[in-house]
Amino acid sequence: MKHERLGVVVEGTFSAGLTVRLDPGATTEQLRIGDFVVLEGQHNRYFSLISDIQLRVTDPRLLSDPPREGSSFIAQTLAGTTTFATVEVRPMLMLEKVDESSPSELLDRSVGPQAVKTIPMHFAALRQADELDFATVFGREGGKNFALGTPLSMDIPICLRLDRFVERSNGIFGQSGTGKSFLARLIISGVIQSKAAVNLIFDMHDEYSFDKQTEDKRWVKGLRQLFGPQVLIYSLDESLGRRAGRNVDVTLKVGLNQIEEADVVLLSEELNLRQTAEATIGLLHDTFHEQWLLRLLEMSPEELELFCQSSGAHPASVSSLQRNLKRLQRQDYVVKEASFSALDDMVEALDRGKHVILQFGRHNSVLDYVLVANLVTRRVRQRYEDKMRRYEETKEVADQPRTLMITIEEAHKFLNPAVARQTAFGTIAREMRKYNVILLVIDQRPSSIDPEVMSQLGTRVSGKLTEERDIDSVLTGVANRSALRGALESLDTRQQILIMGHAVPMPVTVRTRPFDQAFYAAIGARLQTPEQAGDDIQDLFGDE
Amino acid sequence: MMIGEIIETMSTGFVAESFELNQPPALGSFVVVHAPSAGPSVELYAVVTNGRTVGVDPSRRPIRQSTAAVFDQAIYEHQPQLKHTLRTEFSAALVGWATEGRIRQHLPSRPPPLHFSVHTASEEQVQHFTHSLQYLRLLLQTVAEVSPLQVVAANVREVFERRDQDRDWLCQAAREIAILLKSDHEALLNVLQAIDPGEADPANSALARQSSAIAPDPSRRGSRP
Repeated sequence: MKHERLGVVVEGTFSAGLTVRLDPGATTEQLRIGDFVVLEGQHNRYFSLISDIQLRVTDPRLLSDPPREGSSFIAQTLAGTTTFATVEVRPMLMLEKVDESSPSELLDRSVGPQAVKTIPMHFAALRQADELDFATVFGREGGKNFALGTPLSMDIPICLRLDRFVERSNGIFGQSGTGKSFLARLIISGVIQSKAAVNLIFDMHDEYSFDKQTEDKRWVKGLRQLFGPQVLIYSLDESLGRRAGRNVDVTLKVGLNQIEEADVVLLSEELNLRQTAEATIGLLHDTFHEQWLLRLLEMSPEELELFCQSSGAHPASVSSLQRNLKRLQRQDYVVKEASFSALDDMVEALDRGKHVILQFGRHNSVLDYVLVANLVTRRVRQRYEDKMRRYEETKEVADQPRTLMITIEEAHKFLNPAVARQTAFGTIAREMRKYNVILLVIDQRPSSIDPEVMSQLGTRVSGKLTEERDIDSVLTGVANRSALRGALESLDTRQQILIMGHAVPMPVTVRTRPFDQAFYAAIGARLQTPEQAGDDIQDLFGDE
Repeated sequence: MMIGEIIETMSTGFVAESFELNQPPALGSFVVVHAPSAGPSVELYAVVTNGRTVGVDPSRRPIRQSTAAVFDQAIYEHQPQLKHTLRTEFSAALVGWATEGRIRQHLPSRPPPLHFSVHTASEEQVQHFTHSLQYLRLLLQTVAEVSPLQVVAANVREVFERRDQDRDWLCQAAREIAILLKSDHEALLNVLQAIDPGEADPANSALARQSSAIAPDPSRRGSRP
């Protein structure tokens, strides 16, 4: 195979990376920070990233006297001889070289690329990665390998290993307008199609269920349209259920009895609560237990005074709390009392392999979103904990709960350092997949998320970020940050992302695949096979 | 063509007396000496590094000969004895040798014998020898009256003409020199300015294209003070 050589290794260290001097013919304009390149060692092939590019001169006097308006002949002679470029290259993976006469054999061999344990010697050649290199590192499409996009300059798939993806909580980041929700839709489609996990999506802006117009005025299909009855739609908004062709399966109600102290504390900012609120709620809870909120809201001024006398609570705090919490009662979806059966049914549906989208409809204020998402997630997580315990007792494969991936947008509302320890999401993010529940965190300000949570994220997918703190935050705990920092800053606003972490062998910049007819066909094709239909019927009605 | 006879010889080069007064071979041009050999013939290649015309008797300096009516070339016609009291010498630095069609660009094991004749190198010999540019390294290290930089520049100019203005070769030679002089920007500029052929003709558009990417944009020059 013929490769275009870019240059040779001239110095370097294992810890800091290698320096490659570019050949006179190679120009720095064809290289980008974060590009995937290959170093051909004597015995190993090193899959590497470009972390820096430098322009150099052999004689510093040239800097003070560059060839000015002189001849092009001189300038051309100096280029690549006394003036040249070096590239800092970071080996990420290595692969022992074998006979390459048959590429298919090369891909099928059992030993894939390994972590880098050595570095090549002087004069190892650097070249651009070709299609075979990408396929060797990122695998072929199919099975649990989900093609997320293509390299920036090539037309071959780069695959996300979904089986590894669902082993940890993950994050999707990027400035607004970088296509986070389309990316999430893409990944969730892959997860649904490959059955790697079941999904619970808190759909704050009603983006995931039905078709939606993109910024460039195209209509893209929603998950319900792509996967049909595999996806159940829950809604808080009754009016949503009445729209033509956009039916809702269940309208969800929240009972005042279901709201716990932690939910209210989480909403301190939205409800304008004072610092004393937490203590006051504690006293209310001591007296009324689960009924505290209901009882508080129904208290007459006399009862309130009586309660303060008996419990020692400050009357002003209790009445202000009562006033502020009345806002909860005014939400349409909040009822006096609701049983958990709707949520428990939802967990059972998830367990049968259904995917659930919870739409907020017109109740899309932060208050609604935080309250409901946290409440639902807490219940779901409890049920999963029960299921996991049962599985640990019986050790029956049938009892093992399916991995559940919970997608939340505006994740910093639940995972900022102040509240991450109190929300169900914070618990899930920290305990990882102990109970087979993972998060897909979507946010445009990763710096506002608790660093402890960030460090637990397995795979991070990021669109363009420019804020220094956000970049730092996304790169928390990632090796070789300088190369990735450069790559993140130089991404285009649209359709370009950087993936790093557990589900890819090495960080890579990807042009995301379009969400179009070809993609629907790739996903829909599976639905049309008779066996698949049989599976669906079984999923729908259970084994009986 | 025979042009002179060796009158002083050493491992690094030789001094020869030119057959024609005032007509030493051009600075930087290739000359060839056929060295004696038991086996196949050996040709020693040298580059002219200096030329001078002096009196035959070193103790007597030449004196002025011109008058108001007789000057320049006319002097030699009026005073034929000058051809016997003056002589033209040139020095040459050995840069390689050839035997059986193989070129070696390093010093020969023995200097050429004294009194052997010196020939100009033919077109084919020049083209064959300059196929490789290793000799430039040797030439840059010569110690002579003339600066090695000027000798190298003269040599490259000379070869460029003898190779029918082969621009590819010229660029290659320029890059070789740039590598050799990488730590001395001033010296490099001296040589490059001396061998610069000027603007490329349209036939060499590839060169022009390439260099325009490097040279500053001419349209912007006006903005400079």
